[in-house]
Formats: sequence, C-alpha cells, structure tokens
Amino acid sequence: MRGLKPGAHFPWRRWSIVLHRDIGYLAVAMTLAYAISGIAVNHIADWNPSYRITKTFVDVPPIAAASTPDIVAAAVERLGLTAAPTNSFRPDPQTLQMFYKAKVYHVDLPTGKVMIESTVPRRVLYEMNQLHLNRPKRAWTYVADVYGVALIILGVTGLFVLKGRLGITGRGGWLTAAGTLIPVGYWFLYLRWGYYSGQ
Amino acid sequence: MNILRTFAVALAFGALTASATMAQSTKDYGKALTLTVKTPISSILKDPRAYDGKRVLVEGLIIEVCETRGCWIRIASDKEFESLRLKVEDGVIVFPMEAKGKTVLAEGVVSVKTYTREQAIEQARMAAKERGTSARFDPSKIKGPVTEIELAGEGARVK
Repeated sequence: MRGLKPGAHFPWRRWSIVLHRDIGYLAVAMTLAYAISGIAVNHIADWNPSYRITKTFVDVPPIAAASTPDIVAAAVERLGLTAAPTNSFRPDPQTLQMFYKAKVYHVDLPTGKVMIESTVPRRVLYEMNQLHLNRPKRAWTYVADVYGVALIILGVTGLFVLKGRLGITGRGGWLTAAGTLIPVGYWFLYLRWGYYSGQ
Repeated sequence: MNILRTFAVALAFGALTASATMAQSTKDYGKALTLTVKTPISSILKDPRAYDGKRVLVEGLIIEVCETRGCWIRIASDKEFESLRLKVEDGVIVFPMEAKGKTVLAEGVVSVKTYTREQAIEQARMAAKERGTSARFDPSKIKGPVTEIELAGEGARVK
C-alpha cells in the first residue's frame, strides 16, 4: 500500500467501498444461512425448525401381558419389522416403546394401537439452524464472532458508500434514522413502557 | 473459470455444513460432569425428599425429548414403569431429537415440586401439546395435587 502524501486525507470513502464490497461477498453465505435460520427459529412455538416429526398410527392384534423381551418379540413380529429395536422401555404396564434409528414405536398393548413416530432432520434448514444456534460450539464460536465483527464493518461502511444527496447527509440519513427507530421504538414500547403486556 | 468459482463456493458451503453435523459416537452437553458415582433413578424416585436439592449423576435411556426446543429429556429408570425428567435452561443445552433411544449420563440437582391440581393440569396440557397428543389429553385424569420430581440438568453425555 502506498503511503499518504503529507497533508493528504486518508481515503476513507474509498476504503469503505472496498471493505463493504469485499466483506459483503465473503459474508453472503453466512448472512443467508443466519437470516433463513432466524426466520425459521423465530416461529419455534409453531413448528420444529430442525426436524420433521411425523406420527402415524397402525393397529395390530392386542399383545398379552408377559415379560418385556417376549412383548418386544411379539410387537416386532406383529409389526412386520425385520430387526429388533436398539432399545426398548415400558413407561407403564400398558405401553411399550421400541427405539429404532429415527423411529419410535409406541405400542398400546391392550388395544394393539401403535403410534409410529418418525424424526427426520429438515434438509439444509437443519444445518443452517445448527450453525446459527452455535450447536458445534468450539471453533464455530470464533467463526461466528468474526462474522459478527464483519456485520458491524458492513453496517458502518455501508453508511459511507455513497456521498451527496443519496448519502448519509441526505436520503441515507433519513433511512438510517428510520431504521434505528425500529429497535429503539420497539424497546420503549415493549420493554420500557410495557405497552404490549399491559403493565 | 466461472464453473470453478461456483464449485468453490458450493464446496465451501458444503464443508461448512458437513463439519457442523459430523456424527459423533459420544456427545457432551453443557458443563463437564463432576461426579463419578451414579445414583440409580429408582432410588431418587423411592425417596425424593432425601435427594431434594442434592447434586446427582444418573444414567439411563432417553425415552423422550422436548419436541420444540430440546430443553428437556425424560430418562428411563433402572426399574420398569419409572422415569425422571431432566430439564435444562432453554438454549444453554439443546438435546437433539436423535438422542431418543440413546443412553445418557447426566448430572444435575434434584428438585421436588408439588403442584396444585390446576397447575398440574396446565403442565400436562403443555406437555401434551409438545408431544402432539393434545387431542387425547384428558384433564379429568388428574385428580388432585401432583408431586413432580425433576432434575435441573447442568451437564450430560449422550452415548
């Protein structure tokens, strides 16, 4: 990098553009992953964003009371399963749970009603959520920190990319103020004044 | 050159996601386990007041995982028809759904709580919602106050 001539100003606008452009390219995949996962996780009360859980029901002939290994053998045979479960448990005398990879069979012994619960990770979304929620921990914590710093740089340099009427001293300034009002206004309404909770 | 660039981007993203989800035979959650002596779950359930507030290490089969947040698991006792719920702080530990059917070694503090019938009904209603069994939920089955024994989990190793 060439040094600045005496009396010359640091070309901060040029550097803002360069940093904003290049960090933007580097951060695009992370931004998409975090944003998509963010929307998915926001609605966690309504769905499981990482797994597709399905519950289907079948009927088999009732299974008479016996020792647990005999009951498991009978359930496997009546359900037409080809392998024994990896584990089994009886939460109460009437119920048998059989665990397979990604599937659990809940057998109601007196009635023969079986709930088959299948759990499959959602493609791509599962991976995005794992990263967004920092499940891997360890090195990913630092990757996410670096990404956070990158977002700060993107935000700040973005303010100075344009100059003049559309820049921070004109339209850009008004938009920045409006954008700032969203979190600040919400904080006052929701947390400070308790507007939504009726406090 | 363009194909190469697209391939590089796809490879980078693929590697990123694959590294995050690489299968491990044993996985630790939360704080490191500090206890070495295991307490049978049946002992805790037999005399919960004796263990109330005490730190214990338990081992058992994971028979249920919170379907929405992975914030609790139910561990089978060493005796049939018994189980203990291990609750963790939301977001601090998140148990994956794949943990169901695996064995867990978990450490935490025993807590014994007594709920009024109304509280117990509300709890059971929420549990039924999480399990997707709301349609079969029958509050009339809860007759009176319910004592619930729970483990406030701090660390776990799923095998």
